[in-house]
Parts: sequence; structure tokens; C-alpha cells
Amino acid sequence: MRRLPVYLLLDVSGSMRGEPIAAVNAGVKALVEALRTDPYALETAFLSIIPFNNTVEQSVPLTELYKIKPPELEAKQGTYLGKALKFLSATAEREVVKSSKEKKGDWKPIVFIMTDGKSGDKIAKALTDFNKSLFSQIVVCAYGNEANIVDLKLITENVIRLDNIDGETIKSFFKWVSASISTSSHSANDNHGDEQPISDLPPLPSSFSFVI
Amino acid sequence: MNTEKFLELLANGKNDTDFEEFLKFVSDKLWNQYNKHLMDEILMTENKVNGIALNLPNASENKPYEQTIDFGDTKIAIERVDGLSAETHGLNVTVCDDKKSFKIAGTPDLNPIRNAGTEIESTFELTVFYKYEGLCLPPKKPLLERKLQLVINQDPRYLWKNIPVDWEKMSDPKYEKEDADCQYVTVKALPDGTPQKDIVAASKRGRSHAQEGKPRDDDFQLYHDEQTNWYVIAVADGAGSAKFSREGSRLACNVTVEVCKKALSNCEKFEENINLWHIDQKSEDAGKLVSTDIYNILGKAAHKAHTEINAEAAREKNRPKDYATTLLLAICKKFDFGWFIASFWVGDGAMCLYDKENHTSVLLGTPDEGEYGGQTRFLTMPEIFANPTDFFSRLKCRIVPDFTALFLMSDGVSDPKFETDVNLNSTEKWNALWDDLKDNGVELTDDNEAAKEQLLNWLDFWAPGNHDDRTIAILY
Repeated sequence: MRRLPVYLLLDVSGSMRGEPIAAVNAGVKALVEALRTDPYALETAFLSIIPFNNTVEQSVPLTELYKIKPPELEAKQGTYLGKALKFLSATAEREVVKSSKEKKGDWKPIVFIMTDGKSGDKIAKALTDFNKSLFSQIVVCAYGNEANIVDLKLITENVIRLDNIDGETIKSFFKWVSASISTSSHSANDNHGDEQPISDLPPLPSSFSFVI
Repeated sequence: MNTEKFLELLANGKNDTDFEEFLKFVSDKLWNQYNKHLMDEILMTENKVNGIALNLPNASENKPYEQTIDFGDTKIAIERVDGLSAETHGLNVTVCDDKKSFKIAGTPDLNPIRNAGTEIESTFELTVFYKYEGLCLPPKKPLLERKLQLVINQDPRYLWKNIPVDWEKMSDPKYEKEDADCQYVTVKALPDGTPQKDIVAASKRGRSHAQEGKPRDDDFQLYHDEQTNWYVIAVADGAGSAKFSREGSRLACNVTVEVCKKALSNCEKFEENINLWHIDQKSEDAGKLVSTDIYNILGKAAHKAHTEINAEAAREKNRPKDYATTLLLAICKKFDFGWFIASFWVGDGAMCLYDKENHTSVLLGTPDEGEYGGQTRFLTMPEIFANPTDFFSRLKCRIVPDFTALFLMSDGVSDPKFETDVNLNSTEKWNALWDDLKDNGVELTDDNEAAKEQLLNWLDFWAPGNHDDRTIAILY
């Protein structure tokens, strides 16, 4: 079966202390709870939760949705998004199965990144070690006024900005995340190049025979 | 010291009334203190017990579950656990003999809740009632409590919905298409009673589309020429991400079958070349002649479909990629010396010539697949036709004495049934598919028109995570 890997890269720096981190924890729970009612997600989605501050670790490795028990995340220290991105890239590289003759590959993973602050390290520099082509979709959610949108735009065009950092706003974001995972494409990726129609078939090479 | 002496000292020379008041005061005060002390003890104990990490893995409906939850605290004595029952959840909770642990066992079944019409939450709360050794509990709180959450995932089968397509509200062009389709092409037995091969095909909207009220994107087309006895079969899988792929797949099938039909209605030269090639299959010249013919029939059919899809896209001011579709196309005919089969294939799915008696299965090409799931190539891509080597490798032909079945299927069928390229090349797996069809009500006997409905029903098979549109065509 093809798995649909979903990575949540969550900022748990000190500025998230109090209501924001409580909202993130509640949000992750609500997200998992909502996905449990979606048959497609329940059968195929694999979720991984990667919190980051000064350090980054995978608190939930890529796990079948039905087995997930959301962790209680604590907020402390600084925001090192660059380091987290490198970690994410390496983790996905390791965990996501590519198609081979013996094995059916996973769907390309989806990533949701949430952060409220300026990164303590250089994002642009970290992106040289970030393999964007590993992912089918990267969404960054920036909340509050501290987030450096210009830097975040380097990661992906899909930067969503939440002006408020209260529980309701974060909750609604997670609701949207779960909806996006639900509807997330299980259909073929578009790899279309040039859309110009070819005017005619190429000539048949004289030495050619395609008998098997 | 006796009691009287003690009371006298305590009364401290006061009269009885005053002394009584005093005793009441002291008693109340001390009892209050004592109760407060008890409540503190209770709170401390509950906090301690609540802090014990318990491993309660999530359960899943219809999957047997058994878990013993051990508090690992020798002073605990569990009285009972509320919140789950065999009648409502399919799970029994029993306190173990040691009273330090309890067991949840059974096969979760949420139908009682589902049938009651209540919305099902997947998290259920358990309350463990217990006593604690050395802790005196007041009558108003005879037992301590620990709350626990158990997740029971619903069986996804109950969550799939079958929402009809709202064609009225569908934006133009609608390209209306039935959710399911099936067809049987009967080729009557020869006058001497020799049965002739028939074609059966079925196509059904996938659960993932049904869930969202989206139309079927797959299509197929069958043809048998009564005069020349040529068979033509096309199966196409419209890309789920492409808005009008249902029309792309329809055009791919219709146009290619139409082109082949026309070409094969009058093809003595082609048949002569096939004969020549049959006589000397090592002959390079004969091989080239046949190759050129196939190129002119199947190659041009594929290209015409590509062009017509582009034209349709242009007419409707859409992009060709909005019509993205795969195509599996085969033509075949029985000659005196055996069967001639030629094919064209772009995209995923499977096309296979299967011979049960001789235990062989030959894929008529290679499925186009990327490193990740869902990456494939489409008939609508110009690059399919741009590179001659790549394009010719999509055309195949061969001569065989006979065969059991020629299969063409979209990945909605081949993915769950074969999963990998290795399996697609395994004759064992094709045997398994042949048996699967037979064992699950598809009677592939000569002239059995009912097989089309049987095949359509067969397409409902269950495979977790595989809910794409499903289409299969079988020449047998």
C-alpha cells in the first residue's frame, strides 16, 4: 500500500510559552482526531511530529495515523528553523519509500511548518541542504508579527500568515491542515512539461523493430 | 490518670455549659484539620497515581485487542473500571486478581453506537476506581479515580460515503459519465462448434471519488470486427488531478478504437506481412514490415487521440494537461498459425498476455512509474511522441499459439492486485488473479454475457488505501 507521509514541523521555542503551545498541543490532538474520521487518511496517512527550538528531534516518527498518540509539547529556548529544515529533509530522505521493482513507493510527503519567530540561524544557508523535491507540498504557517515572512518565502510560496496567536486561530489553522491532508492529492502528480502539441509523429528509424 | 481526672483538668474549673461549648469548638477544629489532612493525602495519592505512565495503545474497530494495564504500584487496589462495555464497544474490561492491573480485551465494534445514530467520537474515557493501602477514605469519597483515554479507530469501511455526482451543478463542459459501465462482446462459436474468444470489460468509480461526489475518470472501449475477426481493446485512466480527465480517457479510447477499426477493416497487406513474419520470425525485413504497419495503425491511433484531446482542450480553452490520461491499447487476431497481438501502452496499469496452460505471462510493455506513488506519464504529454526511441518502445507485437486471457487494466486494479513491478512479471500472481476472478463470482466461460455484471461486482473488492477508479478488460 502506498503511504501518504505527513510531517509537522512545529516551533516550540520559548516565545510559544503559555497559550500558544497549549493551542498547538490541542491543535495536534484535534488534527489527529479529525483525520480519524476520514477513511482515506485512516488507511493511508502516516504522521510524523518534529518539534524544534535550539535542538530538533522527531517526537513522533512516521507512524500510521491510527496508532498515533499526540505528544505534550513544551515551549522553551530559541527558534532554529534552519537546523530543523535540514533535519526534516534528512528524515524524509530516510523514511519515505521510493518506488522500486520490489516495492511500491510512498506518495510524496506533505509538510506543514508552524513558527512564530525569526529564525536564530540562516534559512537561506540551510536550504542548500534542504531537498525540496522530496515533498509534494510545503505549507508554512507564520503567526504573530515576529515571523520573518521574507525568509519563510524562501522555503515555499505557500506561506500563510496568522496575525493572532490565540487558541482559536491556531485551532482553525489545524482544522485547515486536517482538511488539506484529507483532500490531499492521492491522484497522479502532474509532471507535464511543454504543453505544445506535437504536429506529427517522428519518422520511423530505418533500423527499428519493436517486436518482443 | 483516670477519665474523671482528665476531664476535670480539661474543664479547667469552668461550668458545664462553657465546657461543652469548648469541647465542641476543639472537636470541630480538630476534625476539620483531620479532614483537611485526609483530603491532602487523597490529593497527593491521586496525583501520584495520575502520574503513573500507562501504556494504552490505540484500538481499531474489528481488529482484536488485548491489553493489560498495570499500575505497577503495590498499594493500589482496583475496584472497578467504567467506560467500556462489550454491548456498546465490543470490549470487556476486567480487573485482574492482583487488583493492581486490569485487562481490556475483545474485538472493538462501534455498530451499537453507530446504529443509535449518535456521532461517533474515536476517543473514549475510562474511569478506574481504586482504593489505596494505608489511606483512609471518607464516606463521601469512598474510592479514588484515575481517568484514561482509549482511542478506538473506526473501521474505514464505515466511513466511505457514496455521494452521487451532481451533474446539474457541474461546471461546463460537464462531460457527463456514468459511475459504472460494463460490456460484453460475444463472438459466437464457429459452425463446427469451436468457441471463439469473447471480450468482457467493467469500469467503476473508485471509493475516493465516490467519497467526494466526483465522477469516474477511467474509460474503456471494445470492438470486434465480424468480417475480419480483429479484436480491438482500449482502457484509459484519466489522471485524478486533471479536471477533465474523464473526457481525456473517453477520447483516448474512442479515437484509438475508431482509428484501429478503420485500419483493420481493410488490411490485407498487414495480414500478409504478419504471415511473412510468422513464417520467418528471424527475418529482419518481415519484422520491419510488421513494425511499420503497427506503427501506422497503433502509433497513429495514439497520436490521433493525442491531437484530438489537444483540439478539444483548445475548443474549450482548457490546457491539454487538464485531460491527462493513460492509454492501454491492444489489437489481436487469430490466424491459422496462432494469435497475433500488438499493443501500445502509455502510463501505469497493466497489460498482460496470460497463458495458464503453459504457465506464462508476458507484460506487453513496461508501466510508466516514477520514484514516488502516482507519478506516471500521460498520452497528453508531448514528450511521449517527441522521442522516437521512447515512443517505439511503447509499441509491442508478438505471435503466440494460443493464450488464456489478454488483460488490460487501470492501476486501480493492478496496484492492489500486484503492488510491484516484480509481481507484475510473476506468472504466479497472474494465476492468482485468474483464480481470484473465478473464486469471486466471475464466470469466464464462452459466451457468458452475465460475466460483465459479475466483473463489475468483482471490482468492489476491498484493499486498504486502494480506492482509485477501477477498470479491467479481458479477452478470453
